[in-house]
Amino acid sequence: MSLDISFIGILIGSIMASSVPLILAASGELITERSGVLNLGVEGMMIIGAISGFALMVITDNLFIAIVGSMLSGVIISLIFGFLTQSLLTNHVATGLALTIFGIGLSAMLGKNFVGIPGKEFPILFSSLKESIPFFGPILFGHSIVLYFAFALPFLTNYFLKKTKLGLVVRAVGDSPVSASNQGINVILVRYCCILYGGAMCGLAGAYLSLIYTPQWIENMTAGRGWIALALVVFATWSPIKVLIGALIFGGITILQLHMQAIGFRIPVQFLSALPYLMTIIVLVVISRDSRKIKLNTPTSLGRIFYKEK
Amino acid sequence: MATDLRISNISKIYPGCIANDNVSLQFKSGKIYALLGENGAGKSTLVKILSGVVSPDNGEVFLNEKNLKLSSPLDAKKNKIGMVFQHFNLFETLSVFENLSIDATEDNKSLRVRINEILKKYNFSIDLDVPVLNLSAGQKQKVEIIRCLLRSPKVLIMDEPTSVLTEQETEELFISLKKFCDEGILIIYITHKLKEVLSLCDEVAVMRKGKVVSVSQTQNERVETLANKMVGQKLAKIKKKINISKNKDEIFKVKHLNFYSDDPFETNLVNLNFSVKKGECLGIAGISGNGQNELFQILSGEIITPDTSIIFRNKEIAKLNPKQRREYLMAFSPEDRISQAAVPELKIYENVALNNFKSSNFFEKGLVNERKIKEHSKKILSDFSVNTDNVELKSQFLSGGNLQKLILGRELITAPELLICYNPTWGLDVGAINYIHETLIKINDQEKSTILISTDTEELLKLSDRIAVIYKGKLSKIMPSEEVTPEKLGILMGGGSID
Repeated sequence: MSLDISFIGILIGSIMASSVPLILAASGELITERSGVLNLGVEGMMIIGAISGFALMVITDNLFIAIVGSMLSGVIISLIFGFLTQSLLTNHVATGLALTIFGIGLSAMLGKNFVGIPGKEFPILFSSLKESIPFFGPILFGHSIVLYFAFALPFLTNYFLKKTKLGLVVRAVGDSPVSASNQGINVILVRYCCILYGGAMCGLAGAYLSLIYTPQWIENMTAGRGWIALALVVFATWSPIKVLIGALIFGGITILQLHMQAIGFRIPVQFLSALPYLMTIIVLVVISRDSRKIKLNTPTSLGRIFYKEK
Repeated sequence: MATDLRISNISKIYPGCIANDNVSLQFKSGKIYALLGENGAGKSTLVKILSGVVSPDNGEVFLNEKNLKLSSPLDAKKNKIGMVFQHFNLFETLSVFENLSIDATEDNKSLRVRINEILKKYNFSIDLDVPVLNLSAGQKQKVEIIRCLLRSPKVLIMDEPTSVLTEQETEELFISLKKFCDEGILIIYITHKLKEVLSLCDEVAVMRKGKVVSVSQTQNERVETLANKMVGQKLAKIKKKINISKNKDEIFKVKHLNFYSDDPFETNLVNLNFSVKKGECLGIAGISGNGQNELFQILSGEIITPDTSIIFRNKEIAKLNPKQRREYLMAFSPEDRISQAAVPELKIYENVALNNFKSSNFFEKGLVNERKIKEHSKKILSDFSVNTDNVELKSQFLSGGNLQKLILGRELITAPELLICYNPTWGLDVGAINYIHETLIKINDQEKSTILISTDTEELLKLSDRIAVIYKGKLSKIMPSEEVTPEKLGILMGGGSID
């Protein structure tokens, strides 16, 4: 196979497409964690988003309703998590794990009748430019709207956290809920909002998989991407831009090693399959070495239950 | 405009404890009021009620005869009641400016101008763009005060503000508070430090067990009268008979103790040599941060320094770890009770088991002998009059004084030959301090030795047989305590010379 320049363009385009669900889910979870809430239910919320998006598409034949519906289903399932952890003060870790197990089971049940139904083609933008410009065409154009949104999201998230008042409030709540509460901030409300936002983004990430990336419903189709997204947030030390870098590296090496397997490199397949995980961790650890910055970005109260004095 | 704050019949009951029992008090601007009481007397609860963090079961608060509904911290803010908490309410990872802007209603530009005006007016120097976690305790407190001042408060409540400050910072704070008072801000100063009340405040209300027991002018009070009101009984005066004798054996001898560190937050120690005799208390004075931390850690075996010789009971122990040193009958009481001496999340008996000395039989064949540990813990609780007999209680629910009693009890149960303690009465109230001091004197009476590293000169003069001063990692010559005066100590602690 010749590695000509237009092939590299197409390759980069496909790498971008494969990293979208990671960027979406991790950006959502990042906001949740920045408010001090550790939601391990990312995988569960994604798979629920995937099935509800696909089911709505089949039922209504309307992609817009499907996308919005998948986000709503993410919100609803994260509301369960929010109610348990914020109102009933349950342990974040246990509740999140339960959410994932619940999500996987529920989606399999709901999805029974949707297995094998072909998906619908999702509209892509600027498809003419994709073909006409070599190299840059397949990178910049011919993607779904969700992809463009996903690539803007880390920058928006960064702006939100660093520059807006609301972002400051979210960081303050994650740093010290007790102080925030004493300053008159409604900690529980802020955390609920962050949890629901995280749910919406995970739902969207799931819908991207079942409506756009591989447009069909397959049981357990998120295949651990939720856990990767969770790990990305931590290894990116809660920095949205580093989440983007990590997601691209992970997506990139996943695609590249598939090509290497196809070409028949004399490297054990198992090692190639493990490569994306290894490289992502190594790169993120290397770019996140500044211990001072880690300390400043880490939500100090992450995973701790906040109880308001009465 | 004059401010008048009146608290009327406030009660707050927690399960198993009456925190405030029908408290009524009146404050007027132009004066600094002290609210004095031991730990657990109900001061903090009252303050939390005034700042809207906790709502009372009963009673009312009036500001200029207006009945205030304080159901959230926002209400307190709206009514111009500012509050500086004992444990700072700051966001450590956010910058100073972000901390101040979080509840501001104006835009960042004009806020910055106003903050700079305040900084200038009161001579505070704080970099607004560094994260709060880089600030010293004194600076953090200033940030809290600025936060209150930004809202032009009528009432400013300070909850035990000096417990984390150095002497220098305390002086600066007092100057600022007097300025605020002159500007017409009503100041309520909560403390258990008697001297501060007398030097700063005009009027003092004493609380005990949730009740106000006395309100008086500070000019009519002395340290002793206030202490007696606070504790509710006459405190026995502790006096130690000096216990120095040339013939006694040296039980502990340190030679060539040197410590070098690259960490800018640690102090290097330069050639420390000293010895302790049987039944003696060696006091080591100094302003905190002059090497006491490092010295304590080296003596306890947490840090092993090369080329140092430590002889204890005729054995070289310089290379032994803390556990091994304990087996030679040394015992340690570190400065930070919560993070170094005990694990707050563990139950009392579990903390006792942490000091798993050789003859304890706390663990048998790898299994925990719970019955034995509990028995042993009960004995400590009663021998050292800790105010609970429930060994299942989590240690974090003990007050500072009771936790310190528990730790001392745990350390002393092995009948150690040498106890090394670092600021054993830091942050404790008078009653607990008295008890700890009596205990330390008793140890010496039983011909056991102590090394007392402390920043409290009064405590050192009361308990030590000989005293040395540590300054920038160097030890002064060791003096018999009858030759030492507070003035001499002060000069040496400041780096001066007395010869």
